[in-house]
Amino acid sequence: MSLYECMFLLDNAVVREDWKKAKGVIQDAVAKHGGTVQTSRRWDERRLAYPIAGKNRATYILAYLEIPGANLPALRRELELSERVLRYLLLKVDEIPATEHELTTAETVEGFVVPTPPPDDVIEPEPVVPVQESLEDILAEGEMDDRPRGRRPERASAEVAP
Amino acid sequence: MSRDRRAPLPPIAGRNCDDAWPEYKDIENLKRFLNGSAQIYSRKRTGFCSQCQKALKQAVKRARHIGLLPFVG
Repeated sequence: MSLYECMFLLDNAVVREDWKKAKGVIQDAVAKHGGTVQTSRRWDERRLAYPIAGKNRATYILAYLEIPGANLPALRRELELSERVLRYLLLKVDEIPATEHELTTAETVEGFVVPTPPPDDVIEPEPVVPVQESLEDILAEGEMDDRPRGRRPERASAEVAP
Repeated sequence: MSRDRRAPLPPIAGRNCDDAWPEYKDIENLKRFLNGSAQIYSRKRTGFCSQCQKALKQAVKRARHIGLLPFVG
């Protein structure tokens, strides 16, 4: 069993539903592959530097977990296939920082409420503008002159001259 | 004709090799070592030793992967 630090990027829609359920996504995935979550807490909710999976904002969860190294590829695959985990970063560490246990227990205290994420996390698709011109109109405008530019008659100059 | 030469910018001070290496979560600190296009400054500009510059590179790349820093600013 090795200790790993993992930063998860969770979809805000899951966080809005239920915070415990959102944390459960990580707990379940790790437990399924024979690991244990030592600490996990909400690190931040912020605007992403670039859109990920069609989302502008996401919630970061910082977790420290123990898992056999042989099960890591299976866990990675599960996280990559999950639609609720937008992205993750898994790093091997030597020890859990001293403050992590305190911050994790602070979340379990009665009355701890996770701030509701702002509603602008989903990127709206651009509206499709319907084409007004029909193909017949375009063709009726005139036939295409496929001669080289130098050999085309200069129509405009004749019209402009007085 | 003389070429217009500007004096090189001084290295970004404020760090010794004895300090903890930059971490991917410390975004505000990492941003000091990026230019306007979110490119990592060279060692000449950061004033880092080889190991520290490598740690900075690793931290910035991790932060980019997780969406904390942009790939292109």
